[in-house]
Amino acid sequence: MSDYKKPLPEIQPFSQAFWDGTREHKLLIQHCGDCGANIFYPRRDCPECWSQNLGWIEAGGRAVVYTYSVTYEGVEEKFADDLPIILAWIDLPEGIRMHTNLLECEPEEVHIGMEVEVIYKQVTEEITLPYFRPVAS
Amino acid sequence: MAKPGLAVIGIAEVATCRDPERTRWDILLDVCMGAIRDAGIDKNDVGAVISNNPMAQPAMQNDMSLGKIPEVMGLKGCRDIAICNAGGASTTNCLRLAEQHIASGQVDFVLVPHTTVQSDMPPQDLINFFATAPLDKQFEYPYGVSFNGSMGLITQRYLYETGATEEELAAVTVALRAWGALDPRSIFYGKPVTLEDVMNSRMISTPLKAKECNLLADGGGAMIVTSHEKAKEFGEKAVYKLGHGTRFMSATPMLREDVFHRQSYRESSADALAQAGLSIDDMDLRQIYGAYPYTQCSALEGYGVCEEGQGARLWAEGRCGPGGDIPCTTMGDATGRGHSGSGVSMAFYLDTVRQLRGESEERQVANCEHAILTTSGGSVMNTCTTVFGRAMR
Repeated sequence: MSDYKKPLPEIQPFSQAFWDGTREHKLLIQHCGDCGANIFYPRRDCPECWSQNLGWIEAGGRAVVYTYSVTYEGVEEKFADDLPIILAWIDLPEGIRMHTNLLECEPEEVHIGMEVEVIYKQVTEEITLPYFRPVAS
Repeated sequence: MAKPGLAVIGIAEVATCRDPERTRWDILLDVCMGAIRDAGIDKNDVGAVISNNPMAQPAMQNDMSLGKIPEVMGLKGCRDIAICNAGGASTTNCLRLAEQHIASGQVDFVLVPHTTVQSDMPPQDLINFFATAPLDKQFEYPYGVSFNGSMGLITQRYLYETGATEEELAAVTVALRAWGALDPRSIFYGKPVTLEDVMNSRMISTPLKAKECNLLADGGGAMIVTSHEKAKEFGEKAVYKLGHGTRFMSATPMLREDVFHRQSYRESSADALAQAGLSIDDMDLRQIYGAYPYTQCSALEGYGVCEEGQGARLWAEGRCGPGGDIPCTTMGDATGRGHSGSGVSMAFYLDTVRQLRGESEERQVANCEHAILTTSGGSVMNTCTTVFGRAMR
């Protein structure tokens, strides 16, 4: 795992809980205790009301593909072994849109509106990245 | 007292190309001196230099930020300098700052230059720059997204929502390359492409094919700007800024509610047109800097040139390219001209000035009196829309 050569997320103090969560296979969404907003990506202050009374809710882990793009070339060499890479924006019922990769499926299977679920890949001791795959029908 | 306004009275450009032998300063001096000569003013009449920040060119950024241009060129009347960075919208911001100098009444002429060389940079560094600078390094970059990939995501959704086909989208690139093929300032001068060429080019990030993505290149341009009143002395060289409006959306593409920027195009163009006292139907030319083909479609929908979802069809019907009745983006955009970094927006302003002066030769839009121009920065974080006219209003 320590030979992971791809870029790791640049973690901020206020996003640490998100990455602590993925390590425990939990998808945590930042939640404002004052105005009730669900916030993604995590911030120091709620972008709606500037409250610092921010906590976390656990997402159900299901989502729907809003859009996708299959990349065949034009990435940095450190990603070359992963090609083709299925990029996707997915909508969570918690009102969050995330950027991710779809795994465990072929490019031709992917479509807008497809139901997907979170899976986790531990890439270093500290970092576990959330990815998504099609929900088994 | 009438508002001072802003007018362009001098321009110069170094063609978009890939020429690693040519230095950034060589391009810069040619365009700065060229614009001053085109305006016909004395070099010491330049009262300020407001530079377009060249992205990913740190040595040049330092030179431009810290005053080398007036020093090297001996601009003895220069009162101050600054550099503006808003990515692809940098030139727009240079013009706003220049307008403020001119409005002060203390500066008559402002030099607005740009220079970029990308051909001497390793391709891996350029891919990294475009994947990290405008995208999120925590929640996007670790997933192998390139700038093309990010725009592919938006384009896929555009096709899904509008029902436009990949062929209709490819027609945008055919038209942009047709403009570029007629323009000696384009890297694609004399190199038009067919629909088959675009459709058969390598798949990069679905649905975007190689010819729909940007070729990173070198280039430079410069403008001399002044007040409306002063511009009258320059006769037909002068092109007048008549109205301006902007909207900001988001830095990170996935957070954008206005995914295709339609609302942003609509509101920024409405503000610009209202200020100019004109309507979209008064525009003889629409110049859209979005760098990727879907923007050429969604901008027309936002401007109100056509209904939502119909933009790609206008391009596919040949109405926006050479010979069409709705000429758009004669500059070619980055896909039809080459991508000179933050200089794409500079080239858009220069092309608009040439059209309004009637100097566009084979690409000249007939009776071009008014043009609307939108630039955007970052990953299309904003839309900055300006209306220009051949005459003061």
